[in-house]
Formats: sequence, C-alpha cells, structure tokens
Amino acid sequence: MKKAQHTGVIRGYDLHAASVRVFYAVIVILCCLMVVLALFPLVWVSLAGFKDLREFLSSTSIIPSAFSMDAYATTWNQLGITRNYLNSLISVAGSVVCALVFNGLLGYGLGILKPKGHGVVKRMVLLSLLMPPTISIVPLFMNIQKLHMGNSFLPLWLSFGANAMYVILFMQFFESLPASIIEAGRIDGCSQLQTFFRIVLPLSRPICAVVSIFAVNAAWSDFLLPYLVLRGADKQTVMVRLFVFSTEQTVNADAMMRSVVFAMVPPIILFFLFQKQLTENAVSVGIKG
Amino acid sequence: MSSSGTQLRSHAKLRENVQSWLIMLPGLILMLFFVWGPLFESVRMSLYKTRNVELVRFIGLDNFISVTGKDDFLQALVNTFSYTFWSLLIGFALPIVLAILIGETTRGKSFFRTAVYLPNMLPGLAVIILWSAFFSGEKSGVLNILLARLGIPPQTYLTRADWVIPIIIIIATWKGAGATALIYMAGMASISPELYEAAAIDGASVWRRIIHILLPAIRKLAGTLLILQIISVFQIMYEPMVLTMGGPDNASLSLMQLMWQYAFGGSMNYGKASAVAVIVTLILLAMTAVYSYFNRKESDWD
Repeated sequence: MKKAQHTGVIRGYDLHAASVRVFYAVIVILCCLMVVLALFPLVWVSLAGFKDLREFLSSTSIIPSAFSMDAYATTWNQLGITRNYLNSLISVAGSVVCALVFNGLLGYGLGILKPKGHGVVKRMVLLSLLMPPTISIVPLFMNIQKLHMGNSFLPLWLSFGANAMYVILFMQFFESLPASIIEAGRIDGCSQLQTFFRIVLPLSRPICAVVSIFAVNAAWSDFLLPYLVLRGADKQTVMVRLFVFSTEQTVNADAMMRSVVFAMVPPIILFFLFQKQLTENAVSVGIKG
Repeated sequence: MSSSGTQLRSHAKLRENVQSWLIMLPGLILMLFFVWGPLFESVRMSLYKTRNVELVRFIGLDNFISVTGKDDFLQALVNTFSYTFWSLLIGFALPIVLAILIGETTRGKSFFRTAVYLPNMLPGLAVIILWSAFFSGEKSGVLNILLARLGIPPQTYLTRADWVIPIIIIIATWKGAGATALIYMAGMASISPELYEAAAIDGASVWRRIIHILLPAIRKLAGTLLILQIISVFQIMYEPMVLTMGGPDNASLSLMQLMWQYAFGGSMNYGKASAVAVIVTLILLAMTAVYSYFNRKESDWD
C-alpha cells in the first residue's frame, strides 16, 4: 500500500513536533465526529421505521425491538406507494431526456456554433442563474394553466429542458473539445446537426452522465411545481405524496418516517452508484459555472 | 475575389447562422417559457388586479402598497433577514472548517468527503420531515430522548419564537455544508505546496500557514459562495411551511412563503403574490450589485 502523504497545510516533517501530532489527532477525531453527525439521522430514521406507533412514541432506544419488514410493508401497501414510485419514474425519465436534449443543443449552439448574436443569449443564461427559480413559480403556473397542460407530466419534463446550469455545464464542456475534430467533420460535409450527433455527442459521454445524474436527483426531489401541476391522485409522485402528507398531517408519526425512508432510498442508491462523479462534479454544479 | 464569390460566401455564412439559431431554438423557447418569460410576467402581473389567471385591470403600485402595508409583510421581511443572519453565522464558516479538516487528513480522505456530501443528495422535503422528529417537543422527540439520558427534562423547540429560525438554518446547514466544503477543498487544492514548504522553512507554524496562506487564497471563492448562500436563503419557503406553517405566530414566516400563501393559500391572489416576488427579486438584485461593485473595486487594487 502506498504510504499516506501529508499534502495539506501540515507537511510530513511537521509531525516530528508533538504538538502537531496532537493537532493531527484532533483533526481526525473531528472528521469522524462529522461523519457521525452526517449519517446518524439517516441511521436513526431507517431504524425507527421498524417500530410500530406505540413503540415509536414510547421507546427511548434507537434500536427497534424487532427487525421485521412488516411495518414497512404495511405502510407501503396502505399508502399505495407503488403507484407513486411509477409516477416518479415516469417523471424522472422524461425529465432526464429533456435535460440532455434541449440543454445539450443550446449548449452546442453557445459553445461551438456561436452564431452572430449568441453573446446576448449567453449573458441571459448566466444572469438567470442568479434568480432563484421559485420566484417565478406563480406566473409559470399560470402559463401552464393557460396552455391547459395541467395534470400532465409534460410541463415537468419540459421544465428540465430549461435549466441554465445544465446549459452552462454543456457549453463549457463543448468549448473544451479540440476545434480540429469539429473542423474535420465540417470539411467532410457534415451539417451542423450531423456534426453534433456524429462527432460531438460520442465525445460527450462524461458530461451527459454528470447532467443525467444531477437531473435524476433533481427530478426525484422536486415537489413544488409537481404539486401544483399534478393535482390528480393518480399522477402524484413520491415527493408530492410526501408533501401532501406533511401539510395535511393525516399520517401517523411512524408511517411518516417510513415514507421519508421510501423517499430517500432511490437518491441514496444513486449516490452509492455514482459517488465518484457526484463528489468530483459537486464543484461545478455548486458554483454553477 | 469576385463580388459573386463574396456574395456566395456571405450567403453560406447567413445560412450557417440561421441553421445554428434553429438548433438552439427549442432550448431558447423553453428558457423563454420557463425562466425568462415568467420573470417579466411577474413584474407585469404585480401591476395588475388579477382574478384567477386573468389580468383584470392595471392598478399601478396598489398591490405593492396593499402587500407592504400588512403586518405579516414586515414580519416576513424581518424574518428573511434573520434567516440570512443565522445562515451566515452558522453556515458560512462551517464549510471552510470542514474543508480544512478533511484536507489535512491522509487516510480516509475520500471516505470523509463522500460521507459529508451524502446529506446534500437527499430530497429537501424528506430532510425537513426527518428532522422534525428530532426537534419534536414530545417526549418521543429524538433530542428529548437524548436529553433524558442526561437527566434533562424534555424541551420544546419549534414552538419557541426565538429558536425556530436558527433550527431551520441548522437543518439547512446539515444538508448543504458538506457540498460547499467540497467546493472549498477544490479551491484549496490549487494552492501551490511550495508556498507551505517555504513558509515552513521560514519557521511559520501550521496555524500561521492557515491564516496567512490558506485563507487569503480562498477569499475570492468565499465571496462568491457568500452571495450564492444569501440567494439560496431568500428561497427558504417550504422548510417553515412544512415544519411550523410559519409559526409560532408568524415567527418563521419567510417572504417566499408569504408569496406562496397569496397565490396558493386559498385566495389565489396572483397579483399580490407577484408583488412579493418582485420585492424579493429587487432585494436580490441590489445585493448582487453591491457585491459585484466591491468585487470590481478589489480586483482594481490587485
């Protein structure tokens, strides 16, 4: 195994001093504490889900008295979550497709084609990053109503095709592609659209993966617009269902915690499958370009 | 070159431009419908009396006068700044500390990075409901169970007017701090190790290296993240909606929540809701302008 290197502020030779060794030990202890703080609520909620209501309200132990999946299964069936999972799946799948196609093409235009006047669009895209999306949810909802797209997944899918952050991620990636490859395609007589599908897209697997992962997570977690749009119970996604529970408070505390677990499992699976892409790209997504 | 040649070329150039715009068109239409249009629309709507989705008549600034004249507006405005204050107090320095701590570890660095990032992936709504069980004032609340172990009687949390905003900020920080820490770590990784080596040779302690090399190097990044953090705090809406319904006695009501109440809280007053949205937009624009003014001044000196 490679010997661990001190590559931060503390350099290897600093550890000769006892005070620095103590300091380093404190750092490691604090890091472990941080991990406990980050994970404890998740461990607690999944364990609490095994308890029935009486035990949930009276027990002071975080370990449930029995590990049977009955409580989870009962809540799942009682609330009919299968339907909501299917709806979420439909919503997520369409959203990811729209996120890739529309933002990808716009990013291609701004990053490679750069037609006359594209600078204005670029500036407008960058500016819209500064405005929180919830600010315009009222007129957006009204526009959707006017077009009679209520109670349909279509506006939710399409809303992912208008994401300034994804446009910028695509644009920056395309700008980093070597110009010679794209030029070669042009000389071979490809049209701009052919160049995109034959040359640019095959090179863009990494950025497509990143945008897809973040779009899956965002589409899964989104509930404000879906709540306003999907009024019928037959189209509610998992998060919309959870939101309805939380505002109406018709669900028992223990079943509520199990619903929270149901809502968290897919993102956690996604996280463990793609933790490398996620943590490596947290920077660009966090700063948003 | 003959004039017909240039004409042919400019013709080809024009066709290429048109094609490029056509490729971008679907994305542009969606941006217009979902992002840019609604922003302008909310300004227009805020100046109209509305009935359902119809604009009834132009009433100038009446919506603004009516909205700002109510007690709950002043309360929500003060609360929103209180959210910002607590968020900066609790949530601004913490990611920097996390990043320094994780950056100094040798073994397990990627494990620590992954673990602190995980909460950021969880749906915000699920996180709020999960934490409501921790801050429940009942004996079965998780914090009260922990306090009981220490022999402390159960406390109430979310029903205390002076605790509710800090608690909501703690929950938001739990979710977001790890992700922000990763951004700082990337910034810190670009500091040249030679700077530390040279400082060490000059006898600078680890602490002094942090103060004089590491912190100045991330100052600009910290400025950017500060403004992004303020923007995201102004979005706080569903957190108090779900956790406390804005209570106790409007103590956690935020501006965006007030907007939601006007629009979807039963009265469907979209005009007044838009007036609140426009006010928030103006506050954010003003803050961004102040930030970029100072930012420019600073880079002039550099």
